[in-house]
Amino acid sequence: MTEKQSSWKNHLILIPFSLLMIYPVIWWIGASFKSQAELSLPTLWPETYMWENYTNGWSYSSQYTFAKFFANTLIMEFWSVLGGVLTAALVGYGFGRLNFRFRNFWFSVLLMTLMLPSQVTVVPQYIMYNKLGLTDSYIPLILPHFFGGGAFFVFLVVQFIRGIPRELDEAAQIDGASVYAIFFRIIAPLIKPALFTVGIFTFLWSWDDFFAQLLYLSSVEKFTVGLGLRMFIDQFEVQWGQLLAMSLLSVAPSAIIFFLAQKHFVEGIATTGLKG
Amino acid sequence: MFGKKSGSGKKFQHNTAGYLFISPWLIGFLLLTLWPILQSLYLSFTEYSLLDSPVWIGTENYSNILSDKLFVKSLIVTFTFVLFAVPIKMMFSLLVAMLLNKNVKGMSIYRTLIYFPSLIGGSIAVAALWRNMFGLEGYINHILGWFGIQGVGWIANPDTALGTLILLNTWQFGSTMVIFLAGLKQIPKDLYESASVDGAGVFRKFYSITLPMLSPVIFFNLVLGIINAFQMFTSAFVITGGGPANSTYMYVLFLYEKAFKQYQMGYASSLAWILLLIIGVFTLINFTVSKYWVHYESEGGKSN
Amino acid sequence: MKKTRPWLKTLAVGALASVLVLSGCNAGNSGSGSSDKAANLKIMWWGSDVRHEATQKALDMYTAANPKVTFAPEFTAWDGYWQKLPTLAASKTLPDIMQMDAAYIQGYVKRGLLADLSDIDLSGIVDEQVIDNIKIDGKVYGVPLSYNGQGMVYDKVALEEAGITLPTNNWTWEDFFAYAEEARTKLPKDKYPIDDLRNIWEWYQFYQTSKGLGPIFKDGTTFNLDKDTWFEFNSKYAEFQKAGIVPPADLQLTSKENDPQTDTFGTGRVMLRGASVGSATAIEALLPGGRIAVNSYPIGEAGGGWAQSTIFFSVSAASKNQAQAKEFIKWFISNAEAGKTLGTVRGIPINNDILKSIESSFTAGEQLGIDLLGVAKEKALPFYPAPAGAEDFVSTYKSEMESVMFNKTTLEQAYETLVEKGKAAEAKLK
Repeated sequence: MTEKQSSWKNHLILIPFSLLMIYPVIWWIGASFKSQAELSLPTLWPETYMWENYTNGWSYSSQYTFAKFFANTLIMEFWSVLGGVLTAALVGYGFGRLNFRFRNFWFSVLLMTLMLPSQVTVVPQYIMYNKLGLTDSYIPLILPHFFGGGAFFVFLVVQFIRGIPRELDEAAQIDGASVYAIFFRIIAPLIKPALFTVGIFTFLWSWDDFFAQLLYLSSVEKFTVGLGLRMFIDQFEVQWGQLLAMSLLSVAPSAIIFFLAQKHFVEGIATTGLKG
Repeated sequence: MFGKKSGSGKKFQHNTAGYLFISPWLIGFLLLTLWPILQSLYLSFTEYSLLDSPVWIGTENYSNILSDKLFVKSLIVTFTFVLFAVPIKMMFSLLVAMLLNKNVKGMSIYRTLIYFPSLIGGSIAVAALWRNMFGLEGYINHILGWFGIQGVGWIANPDTALGTLILLNTWQFGSTMVIFLAGLKQIPKDLYESASVDGAGVFRKFYSITLPMLSPVIFFNLVLGIINAFQMFTSAFVITGGGPANSTYMYVLFLYEKAFKQYQMGYASSLAWILLLIIGVFTLINFTVSKYWVHYESEGGKSN
Repeated sequence: MKKTRPWLKTLAVGALASVLVLSGCNAGNSGSGSSDKAANLKIMWWGSDVRHEATQKALDMYTAANPKVTFAPEFTAWDGYWQKLPTLAASKTLPDIMQMDAAYIQGYVKRGLLADLSDIDLSGIVDEQVIDNIKIDGKVYGVPLSYNGQGMVYDKVALEEAGITLPTNNWTWEDFFAYAEEARTKLPKDKYPIDDLRNIWEWYQFYQTSKGLGPIFKDGTTFNLDKDTWFEFNSKYAEFQKAGIVPPADLQLTSKENDPQTDTFGTGRVMLRGASVGSATAIEALLPGGRIAVNSYPIGEAGGGWAQSTIFFSVSAASKNQAQAKEFIKWFISNAEAGKTLGTVRGIPINNDILKSIESSFTAGEQLGIDLLGVAKEKALPFYPAPAGAEDFVSTYKSEMESVMFNKTTLEQAYETLVEKGKAAEAKLK
């Protein structure tokens, strides 16, 4: 089998599969141009394209356009991702490589924090942040990424680090490198793909975390895209066309980030020629 | 959790460094996370409407829960979901990850397209999307119509609604897949090359190289897959609301409705701690069994 | 959207000016004293952006007239609102003024979270009858902002085309069922005369109350599901389901009210259904172009349907600015200029003078709301929300009846389960 043949076959599988996966999204694109009346039709594309869904949707809120909401969300995201990646790398190394007293205990506690449904901690948490005077700010949304949160990511990084042969750090240790030096010089570069994964997921999941944003942000000038989207929903009536248009746009940054970053997390390590 | 330390590990005990590295998490846990967790434990022994102060009632919530028919119903629904959703999603993700791991022109675009459904997450748009796909006049029934099959209202029928949610869950397989992908890339290429030289076929290579080398990541996805499946909430909340006839009444949806619709936060907290126990048991089993199949390079490369 | 004709504008400005002069005098008399104190009022409501925008304008107007009172507004969509409000209650930070809904207000009153607003003088602003209807234990805990009520809407064009006898106002349940049977014979196979709402507990309750048998929870405490009436009603629907008079269960349960994709009425699958005044604009948007006509609910000897305010402004019992809050609320529903700004963003204004001043610029949807209110008012029964504490019964009702609709359980079994849940709720309520 030559290279060319196999790549041709790959496309034969990949193209229909991609289309199958993306079909509902194609419907979404079509629907985002529809008028309220046309949405009831099962057609994919509208008769008349309502570009207004995008233009009106963008400036739907009287005070701010979606540009403001996007900017707010991106600022929040920047800190969240930074915190998520830093914490996951450091803590993951601690748990994954270093041997210290009560390590297993603390790791069990870390996992336990993942098992308790957040629906019952959200109210005490709100009361706590409220007492600290931190409501209506991004701090309750960002702080957990630096401190205490991110158990999922810590565990992920731990698993990746444990897949790295120990001979590497042992060799460095014999050369006199400290555990800190080993982390920065050996481990950190090797877990780059995992850290990119952490970064992307932090980005996506904070973008999506509507409930926390709803609780902690109250003034419109601080609204995130997720909260902005809710403005299209009334008790009896939903502005579907505009909602679908704006929520499609709201996915765009994530898609772009994913597209740009996926190269890194899938190609970071392949070239190092590491041998187990 | 990490099993017995192998000889090499014991030589190096790094108490200071260890605590220094985990300090961001530890400090945050003690200052920000612990208090709400303890509160919820306390509240599980109270009657608490959110609107007025909690009243201590001992273990009454717990005993009430055990005789609550809805508790049993939601447990059955949730276990069914976990039983099907987790393996299907895992296998599908691994398969796709291997497909996307190839060196094909335009792969970035394929990856992004295939990942796209997972970007949508639990947004409101998903509900509209899913209703359109699986409605009576939706896309699925349209296709079935070509083959002369009369479709049903997939999410409105108690026999098919849960299956449809499992399908939706599989469709949004992206994060599991990406983790597999990153794991696959970590496997040194020369392992495959030397296996090829030895004349190993595709399946042989998958079985003796990919699976063991990927096992830490498979393990991760399994543990987290189970935890997340038990806590499945958003799509049941947004798309079916637990219906029809409670056929998609997930445990956490039950818990949520108790907390924020019926204002019984005490009861909801008890439900949460029961769920924690259930998930804890599963996770413990997972970790115990993992010793027999998860292969860590760092632990001296002992396999199986 | 709403274009006012120039001559109308002049007229309005004239009327406005005169009202302003009058209300100015009023404010001078009653407003002094408490309003001297500066206050920043936290105010919270749910709704769409149209509502947000208009309300903020009104708040600015109030601050312009009363510089010492400023506002910290906060608003969300409907569903988020009822998650956030209890969280605020739990952290003892309820806003000074909050929008309330009839289905929720009891729970807040029961826990002593809302201030008694009975001393706001609403005479000449809101009809006494309206106020009496919304009192809880004889006190006012929420000042009504708009009229609401429940009537029916039908696709007039489709019924006429099919040659079906049109519904008439104040028809009986027998008439209603007869219409359904007749329409079945004349409609195409995939269109249905009425919905199958067996899983909606209120729908059955309408039947029971119209026959003078009282609501399912009498006086908000006693469990009162009339066995014979209940079986009669649900057997009728079971027959209808067999005969194809109502949609099959999976089509029915796909339907989400007012959702353009799935609403059985909005997609032209079902010809007639109940509709609240508050949702009129949404319904009109589904079937635009004057296709829709209104009709009253089916009635019995006691009446039928309901007409009552369901949106209120309430004041937190813990608020330190209650006097200012009360004054603001009174202004909010009585000031002509504010009324103009607010229009119908919270439904048909409760103040008849304001209603008159904006009537002429109503859109088709708003007019539909007025028409619905007209037919609802005549024989209206009180509005019977589920008492706080009966939530378990309500959700069980839904799931049990859905099982019945899919023939997964029998009517007898469902009844037993409901009685069990009803009795449990009763024990809690007493």
